[in-house]
Parts: sequence; C-alpha cells; structure tokens
Amino acid sequence: MWRTPSGSKRVTLVAILAAAGLQSLPAQAQNSDSFTNDIRPIMERTCWNCHSAQVKSSGLDLSSREGALAGGSRGPAIVPGRAEDSRLYRQLAGLEGPAMPLGVPLTAAEIESVRNWINDGAHWDAGPTTVIAGDQFSAFATDVPASARQYWAFQLPQQKPLPDVAAFEHPIDKFLQQTREAKGLTAAPPADRLTLLRRAFLDLTGLPPTPEETQQFVDDTAPGAWERLIDRLLASPHYGERWGRHWLDVARYADSDGYEQDVDRANAWRYRDYVVDSFNHDKPHNQFIIEQIAGDELDETTHETRIATGFLRAGPRVNFREKDNPERRYEYLDDVIATVGRGVLGMTVHCARCHDHKFDPILQKDYYALATSLFGYVETLYPMLPEDQAATYLSATADIDARKAVLQNQIREIEEPYHQVLKLERIEQEFPAEVLQAVRTPQDQRSSGQKLLADQVLSIGVPREQLDAALSELDVTRRQVLLDGIKQLEQQRPPQPPMIEIVTDGDYRYTPDRAGDEVLGCPECRIKPDKPGSFLHEGSQPYTVPPSNFLIRGDPFSPGPEMAPAFLTVATYGNPPIEIRRANGRTSGRRLALAQWLTSNQNPLTARVWVNRLWHHHFGVGIVATLDNFGRVGDQPTHPELLDWLAVEFQQQGWSTKQMHRLIMTSAAYQMASAYDDENNLAKDLENHLLWRYRPQRLEAEAVRDVIMATSGGIDLSSGGEPIFPYIPQEILNTAQAYGRWDNQVDGPEVWRRSLYVYRRRTLSFPFFETFDLPDQNITTASRNTSTVAPQALTLLNNPFVLGQAELFARRVQERAPYDIAQQVDLAYRTALTRPPSAAEAEIGRQLVESGSLADLTHVIFNLSEFLYRR
Amino acid sequence: MSQASKCGKKEKTIWSRREFLMQSGGGIAGIALASLLARDGVFAIEPGLGGAQCSTSFPGAFQPKSPHFAPRATNVISLFMSGGVSQVDTFDYKPALTKYAGQSMEDLLGAKFAVRQGMPGPLMPSPFKFQQHGASGMQVSELFPHLARHVDEMAFIKSLYGTSNDHIQATYEMQTGQIRMGFPSVGCWITYGLGSESSSLPAFVVMNDHRGGPLGGPNDWGSGFMPASYQGTLFRSSGDPIVDLESPSGMSAQQQRARLETLARLNQMDMEKYPGNSELAARISSYELAYRMQGCAPEAIDLSSETDATKKLYGLDNAVTEPFGKQCLMARRLVERGVRFVQLFMGGVGVQNTDTWDAHADLVENHRLHAAESDLPIAGLLTDLKARGLLDSTLIVWHGEFGRMPISQRGVGRDHNPGTQTAWMAGAGIQGGQVIGSSDEFGYKALEQPVSAHDLHATILHLLGLDHEKLTYRYSGRDYRLSDIEGKPIPQIIA
Repeated sequence: MWRTPSGSKRVTLVAILAAAGLQSLPAQAQNSDSFTNDIRPIMERTCWNCHSAQVKSSGLDLSSREGALAGGSRGPAIVPGRAEDSRLYRQLAGLEGPAMPLGVPLTAAEIESVRNWINDGAHWDAGPTTVIAGDQFSAFATDVPASARQYWAFQLPQQKPLPDVAAFEHPIDKFLQQTREAKGLTAAPPADRLTLLRRAFLDLTGLPPTPEETQQFVDDTAPGAWERLIDRLLASPHYGERWGRHWLDVARYADSDGYEQDVDRANAWRYRDYVVDSFNHDKPHNQFIIEQIAGDELDETTHETRIATGFLRAGPRVNFREKDNPERRYEYLDDVIATVGRGVLGMTVHCARCHDHKFDPILQKDYYALATSLFGYVETLYPMLPEDQAATYLSATADIDARKAVLQNQIREIEEPYHQVLKLERIEQEFPAEVLQAVRTPQDQRSSGQKLLADQVLSIGVPREQLDAALSELDVTRRQVLLDGIKQLEQQRPPQPPMIEIVTDGDYRYTPDRAGDEVLGCPECRIKPDKPGSFLHEGSQPYTVPPSNFLIRGDPFSPGPEMAPAFLTVATYGNPPIEIRRANGRTSGRRLALAQWLTSNQNPLTARVWVNRLWHHHFGVGIVATLDNFGRVGDQPTHPELLDWLAVEFQQQGWSTKQMHRLIMTSAAYQMASAYDDENNLAKDLENHLLWRYRPQRLEAEAVRDVIMATSGGIDLSSGGEPIFPYIPQEILNTAQAYGRWDNQVDGPEVWRRSLYVYRRRTLSFPFFETFDLPDQNITTASRNTSTVAPQALTLLNNPFVLGQAELFARRVQERAPYDIAQQVDLAYRTALTRPPSAAEAEIGRQLVESGSLADLTHVIFNLSEFLYRR
Repeated sequence: MSQASKCGKKEKTIWSRREFLMQSGGGIAGIALASLLARDGVFAIEPGLGGAQCSTSFPGAFQPKSPHFAPRATNVISLFMSGGVSQVDTFDYKPALTKYAGQSMEDLLGAKFAVRQGMPGPLMPSPFKFQQHGASGMQVSELFPHLARHVDEMAFIKSLYGTSNDHIQATYEMQTGQIRMGFPSVGCWITYGLGSESSSLPAFVVMNDHRGGPLGGPNDWGSGFMPASYQGTLFRSSGDPIVDLESPSGMSAQQQRARLETLARLNQMDMEKYPGNSELAARISSYELAYRMQGCAPEAIDLSSETDATKKLYGLDNAVTEPFGKQCLMARRLVERGVRFVQLFMGGVGVQNTDTWDAHADLVENHRLHAAESDLPIAGLLTDLKARGLLDSTLIVWHGEFGRMPISQRGVGRDHNPGTQTAWMAGAGIQGGQVIGSSDEFGYKALEQPVSAHDLHATILHLLGLDHEKLTYRYSGRDYRLSDIEGKPIPQIIA
C-alpha cells in the first residue's frame, strides 16, 4: 500500500520572535509562572506550528495575548477568566469542533492547566516564541513517490499484439477467448436472431422493436444485416435519449436545486437536450468533456458550449443565504471534484479533501490544486441571443433596473411615514408588554436588550392594503406618477429571451444578493473581499482568479498556503499547461487547461474510464466492475489488456463513441446466447466474470416505463424540450416538502413521453422510478443497483398507469385481430416480447383470455420476467 | 471472499445467486420451494386475515442477520419532532433566562452570533412553568404533564448538537449523519445491518404527520448510496397503508388471482430456460411477498381489534390527540409484528410555523398545540409497551432537527439553534431518570459531554447489537459508517 513517507520533506522553519506588544500589558502577570511552566510548553509543542505571527492558520496568532484576544476567523480564542467560553479551551477539550490540536490530543492534566490558566486571567510572560512551522503541512510537503505510477491505471494504455486465438476473428473475442481458454471455459453459442434484435434495440434505444421493424430485420437475410441494424439504431434520435440518460446519471442531473427551497431550474432541460444531441451527433467524447468543463472558454463559444457548462452546476445547491455560509462554496467545489473525479477519471479524488488519500497516490495538495483550477467558477444566467445582442440585452436590462430602483426609492419615501405609523399601530396590537415598552423607550435610553427587541420588531412590515388605504389623496397621486414611470420603464424592457444556466469565471465574493440573501443576522459572518471588485469580469484588465487556498483538514476556516492550479500529480505526463490565457481576458483559461489535461491522449484514465462505461452498459458489468474507482480498493480489471486495447482504439478512432458501439456489438461476445447452461462453466465461474455467456440485464427504471408505453402503442416519441410531470397521487405529493415544483398532469397521452423527459425533482423522486432503483440524483452514479423486491411487483400489479397501459395494449391487439383469440395471443407476444408464443404459452394465454379478458393477458405480460429483461 | 464481493458486487444485485440459494434453504431445493409455493397456494392467503399467516417464515423477504453482539433491543421507534422543539421550554430548565430576562446574550457572552431569521433579540424566559417530577426529580415544563409521569423511565440527553441551522440540512444530519443530500438514513443502516424480522412487512416503516411529510421530505428516510430497497416504506395512516398495495376497484379478487396464477406459471416456465439465474427465482418470490403484504399490511395497522381502554390510552377518543395517537398505536402494532424500525414524524408541512414545531412567530400557541397533540400518545405508548413486556426490547428515541434559541424573536417566538437540544431515550433497558450532558447557563450551546448526531447514531446501533465501527458499507472506494469517523456510543446509555 502506498503511504506518505512521513517527514521526508518536512519544512522546518525556526524563527525567533519577540512577542509583539507585550510591553503594553499591565504589570507582568502575577501568575506568569503558570504560563512559563505549564502553558508555554503546550503551546510550543501543539499550537505555534500553525498559529503564529507568521503562519496564522485560520487568521489566528496564538503567539501573543493580543493575538489570542483578537482571535481568528472563528472569533476570539480566549475570554480571560472564562475558560468555558473560550474557544481555545473548548476546542482543546473537545467541547467544540474541530478538535485541536491536530494529531495527538492533550492529556486531561494539560487541558486542566489551560482551563485554570484562562480562568486565572490568561497571562503571558515575555519570553520569545519559538515557531516550528510544518507539522500539519507535512501533507502539503509530500510528493508522490515515483513507484506509485507503476500501478496499471496510471500507466498510459498501450495496445499489445492481439492474442493468438484461432477460434475468433474479432479482436475483442480474441482477448476474451484467451482468458476463457486459460480457465477452461467454453463460450456460449450465438443467440437466435430475434433475441439479438430485441437486445440491440433495448440496448441502443431503450425501446423494443415494433412488429414492422422485426419483420424488416427478419426479411433482411443478406450478409451484413446485423451491421446494418446497428447503423440504423445508431442513427435513430432515440439512441441519444438512451445513452444520454446514462451520462446524466454521471452528471447527477436534476431539474431542481434540492435542499429546503428545492428551487425549480427552469432551464436545466437545455443541458439534458445538449447531452442527448451530443450523443446523437457522435460528438467526440474528448470534445464533449471539454465543452462541459470549459465551454465558456473555447475559441469559438456558442450557446451550445455555454449550456454544456451546466454540467459543473448540475449538482444540488442550497441557493439562498450563500453569503452567510461561505463554506457552501467548498461543498459545491467538492461536488464538482467528486463528479469529475469519479465520473471522468474513475478516481475518488474527493477522498483527499481532508488528508492525503488513504489508498491511492492522490495528495491533499492535488485536491486543492484541482480546486484551484476550478476556483474562478461562478454560476450565472446568460441570454440565448447572439453575442452582441446578449451584451446589449444585459446592459439594457441593468439600465432599466437602475432607473427603476430610483423610482422605487421615491415611492418608498412617500410611503415610509405612513408605514411608520401603521407599524406602530400593528406592534401595539400584536406584541406583548415588554416589546411595547422597548419600542416606547426613547432610542438612546433603551437597554441593550431593549435595543435588540426594538430593532427586531421595528423591522416588521404592514399589509399592502392597509398602507394603500392610509395614503392621502395627494400622496396617492404623487405615487401614481412614479408608478406610471415604472410602467413606462417596464415597457421599454426588452422581452426576456430564454436564459441559460451557465458557469463562467468571476469572483464569488461579489455574488449579487438573491431573494432571501438580504435577510441577514450576522453581517460580520459574510465573506469580506479585501478590495472592491465585481461578480462577473468587467473592465479592460484581464480577469484574475480570487485566491484559493489549501485547507487544513478540509476546513474552510483553516486556510493554508495559497495554491496554484495543477492536476493529479500521479496521472500527469509531461508539462501540460495549467492555464490557457484567453484573448478576451474574461476568464482565466484554467478550466480549459484542466479539460485539455483530462482529454489528452497522455491522460491514462479518461479514455479507459469511458470505454469501460460503454462496456458496462453493453454487458452489464464493466471490465473494471467499479466504474468510478480504478484505484486500489476498486475492482481490478478482469481483462486488463482488452481494456487498454479498447482505450487506445477509442483514442485512435477520434474518441468516437458510436465507433465503439459498432466495435463492441459486432463481437461474437455481444451476440452470445444468455440462456446457456454448462455445468463445467458454472462450476468454474458461477458469476460469469469471464463472459462465457451474455448477461441478462433488468431494464432500468426509465426503460421499464418506456417499454410498457411502446408496447401498448401509447408512447409519444417526440424529442426534447420542457419536462413533463406524470401524475403522482396527492398523498405522495403530501409527503414531500411544501416547496418545489410538480405540475401534476393527469395520466394520458400528453405525459406518455419517454421517461428521460420526466421532471427530476431532487426532494421527490418519481415513485415509479424509485421503485425500480432510480439512483440518488444528488451524487454522481457509478452504476445502478438492481433490486428485486415486492414493491416492484405491487407497482406492476396495481399501479393505475400500468393497468391503463395494459388496457390500451389489449385494445391495440384487439383492433388488429378482432375475432381470433389465438391470433390475439400471438400478436401480443410478438409485440411485447419480439417472439411468437410457444405452444404451451399460447394455450395458457388462450385459457386466460377466454375465461377473462384480453387485458388479463396483456397485464400478465407486463409482469413477465422476460418483459423486464434484456437478454 | 473476493475483493469484488466485498466491494460492491453484492450491493449491485441484492439477490446474488449464492445468497438467494442460501436464504431459500439451499441449492435447487430453494428454487423448487419457490415453484411449489407458486403452484400450491401461496396465493390462497386471504387478504385481511393476518395473524399467524402473516408471521410464518417465507423465503422471499430480507432474512434476519446476526448482530455483532447480544442486542439490548430488537426494535426501534423513532419519534422525530419536525421543526425543532425548544429545549428551554420543555426539558432543559434555565432559571438564568428569568434572571437575565431582556438582556443581550451577546453582551453577556461577549460573542457575536447569527440567527436564522433576521436579527437576534434579548434573552427570553420560558413562558411555561417547570416542576420537578418522579423519583429522579426531573424538571419538566407544564407542556408535558403525561410524559412527566414517565421521567424515571427516560434518559435525557441535554447536549445533542448539530452543525446547521437550516431545517433541511439539520434534519439530514440527525437522520443520516451528514448535512448533505445523498446519504442513507438510520433506519436504512439498521435494515442493512440486521435484515428483517418480518416475512410479510417491510423492515423499515415510516409514518408521516397527518398534515404532511416532514421538512426534507423522502430523503429523510432515503437510502442514499445504498440500494433503494433499504429505504423506509411509507405507510399511510388511513386507506391503504402502502401505495399500489391493493388492486384498483373494478378488479375482482377472482380476476386478480387468475392473473397471478397465470403469471406464476409463465414465469416458472421461463425460469426453467435459465437455470442458475437466481434473479428469476427472486422475482417469482417477490410476487409472493407482494401478495402476502396485501393481506398482512392492512391488518398491521387496522386498529379495530384494539380495546377501548387501549384506544383511550393513546388518546384516540380526543380530536387533538387522535392523529398522532393512531400513529403511536400503529407503531406498537408494527413492532409486535416484527417491523425493525418505525419512524414517526410529529409535525409536517402545510404552514410551517404552525404545522411543525417551528415556533418563530408564536412560541406559546405553537408549542402548546404540538405538545398537546403528542404528550398523551407518547406517554400511552410507553405505558402500553411496558404493560406488554415490549419496552425492554424496544428503543424509543425522541428528538428534532435542532433546539431553539434562548433569546426571543420579536418577543413572541424563538429562532433555530443547532447549538443544543434535549433528546431522550427510553426502553431497551436504558437506565431511566438520568441526565446526560448539559447545556450552558442559557441553554444556548452544549456544555458538558456534547453529543453529536454521530454519537447518537453509534448509541442506537450499539443498543441493537451492532458495532458502529464494524457496520460499514463500501461505496466509492471508502468504507462508510453511519457514525462516520468521530461517533462514539454514549457510555451512560449503553452502560
């Protein structure tokens, strides 16, 4: 196991200081002995490494009494005479997080000494403070040992010569067969053509073939029919809907913000459509990644590439009161790093947020270097207009807003005297005696408690109707003039174009107030920029990124040294640029550099991770089963040489995903039967790790619903656009919180669109999907779970939507075969399962229809195991 | 065991072949049993019968798993007070609030602090009277006259703190240990660790306040990164307990049975084509379990067989106490029937300030209402469990997402305070009448023995016989623990 070589490069800095400002203290402490004998050794050993006049972690300098009293970013460290209220004591004693010091805690006796010393007044002596910086920064000072790169995932993939296997022609089969032969396994024979047809349809489009499409394939007996089928399916718009959905799992995509307000992301669906279109156009995967990380930094920036940056902000956000909670920014950065790390690099980079990675050679320093590459990012809205018009729109809107604010202020001035009077009336009526007393007490005579109470109460509003009723005629007229002015301004406002939700560089410290931000209890808790600036880049000077620091133990309130951008040390070959300066100077070019590093042929991970994901979706298990973890605690590849061969092939084919589908699906392995039993194989490889037969795979939640609707004939296959809200019973909506959007639509053709288009609300999963293992939409998904539990049976048996679709399916069959039950059973099977029924099945089906109805049979079919699997 | 099976394969498909065969009695016999059941009358259970039929063993459910050591309790009823109960108005008596009434806490403490809404006010004494109760002499406010009679059975934790003063993040923290979305809840971890005792009911059942779900919504009982099958099953307290439990009106029992029998035959024929595919056997079993649930779940929450005395004990005879009383009584019935973890929420969305404990605007009205709604039912639950000999094997946990501020909000309410709240535990052989930890003079922050959500969770796991350090779930390259890296069981509770 790889470990940080302890102390190998520890920075040792010894500085002798005179403790500043001691002279100003009143007489030397009567009990300074206690400091010298008891406290100083503790401080020397455990505090001053980080909290000195030089290092000042978290802004805290404990080398002097002044420093301790002034405190750091969390407030004063010491309240002389009151240990219980002193942060220093509380953190040492574990009464308050984060526990200090880092590393070995103090003994009970030492903690007690600190307590007594503070209670006695926390007096200092005049001795010098010896500062040894470095202990906690040992994490910062370490390097990745050269040997770490020997691990396969950090080696650049290489194509080894194809194994010498005569039985197969296809490169993939040669690799697979070599392993099978080594284990004494025999490959399953090919599946029959109808099984393959259904497999390919469900795999590439997530929809079953129609009886007509089935016939077309059956009739195509010329050589190359299978390849033609694959091409036909790859050209279908439904291909992008299917494979785009796989990527949306990686991107933790949803249509709402999550958390308490769960605000609607009205334009999030544009990112969803961008993903679908990218797959349909076979956008090279490297370009696809670059656009999503740095679509605003490209030489040619379009709406499409701007929308792509929605990837960075697709995770959950609290989206209000951000300024009171600056640590949230680090949570969001972590969300992005975890998503890029697991989703693109197959590495759990986020595990290095608080310390060096425990298992993989990923340093905490790497984490903050990556964070620094991303650090300029801000989330904003951008009008979907040509670039020059967009600028005009934004400035026109800002101008109107500014002029409107002036008029609104004037209105406020008219209303304010009335407001004051009415407010006092309201307070008299609604509040208890001590509140009235506080308000009635003249301002300068209020006690500090009364002042708090009065300030609180005097901030209340009065109902608009009361205010309107109280206004004098003259003031009504004066106000009306201003209101008319606002109305005129609003008429000049350019119509709002669609606004896209993008990421670009800016300075988060100047984020404009949003609704909810203006209510503020603690102005001093806010982020305080050190100089004036703007949220989005302005002016002619090139943009500079706000400072981004190493965080000690991942704590936003314990900043370490300022960082420069960089990437994962162990996976970086050569000297890739860390910043690609943009001609327009509006962004830093750091994200672009990151994106180029991610998608370089010199990156050992990205191509492997993507071909492995493709393999997973085609075969049910990846060559590396842990799609998001190629590290030491992830699964090791079952076929490492095949994985490398595919990764290089993918790069050489211009990172074309569709070419990889063609390659994989034309292998014999993909076309093997799944219904194949072999005692010898079962004995040797029960779980089919080495792929001796095709793995049946249960359809994903969305596919179950889509296949039901496609089978019934009710499905609406239109593509793209705003999301849909299929019916959810009120009692389930009641379980969710009050905020959040769900425009419940009645069950009917309008919502029988593909499941990709169902609104994703973070705080309320669509129940049908949840039952069939919808992954958590708040974190990037490695691979979906497949459970087989009773609620799935209950849904397919009793859910009104399913029953309605069964009726619809029955009517559809009835229309085509009105009189003959045998024909109906036959047609139902061919439509739903892409095959005719066996004689026994035909008989069972006939009995059921005869004794009941055709809908009995169509409903049973929706519940068949076979219906729910791709085999 | 291979690395793969430790790190995710097992989670990927809950029914791995090997596991299924083991659970269903081994080898081919397991599959044969499943087919036998399909042929010979599993579907003959009559809905609504319940009783013995609902408790016979059955191969389709999550099987019980062994705990790490002898458990103190086998079941949990968690009473979550959504919105945040004021500790200084209920169980954490603070005379200093009277002494310093109307003064600025900032001045007294010499520290600045933020409140959730608007600006901080002065210290506000409790408008409720406190009095000592029981042999332990516990101070309880007049809000809980019925619970006050049980203080000698309850262990109070006066120093439960959190890290967020937003409802949602705070609720996630108390339910999952993390303020972020995407982590499994306590009930989920317990289901993962202990499996199910019941063959006909889910292991983890959630019941919401009659006004609606709690702040945070379904993520409060979600499975996060674990398979969705571990998440809580929401039971409704009226109508069908589970969504889609019953076939819709218009379908006769005969028709439903015809469909199920045909389905079983066809799935059986299909399974024979795929020997060794355990998922197909599991799917057949899942229909059998679904059918059992149709019969057993309504019975589990049907209160008609309860005596009038029992109903009265839970306050079912009074409109104020009836809704939560029903939930408490149903919780007892579910525990009796082997449901491992019952999560009740008191307070649910509608109008947040009045329908939950979130007393920003009128502390007196808000807390009087919610205390009146829950005091008698919870006291009734304790009495009933004890009388039935179930209290020793059932852990009762009571808390909210955070406490409330000792300072006033406009003289009439209190704002959020994650610095401390008072939680209590009862049952599971816990020594009652004890106080664990303390808050500071004002009840603003945990002072002695601060207890984090991780500590609380480690304690709950311990009482159920689970070692919180050993109960891990491998996800994304890390062995996650419910108690994370810092949690420790509370020594006085597990003593």
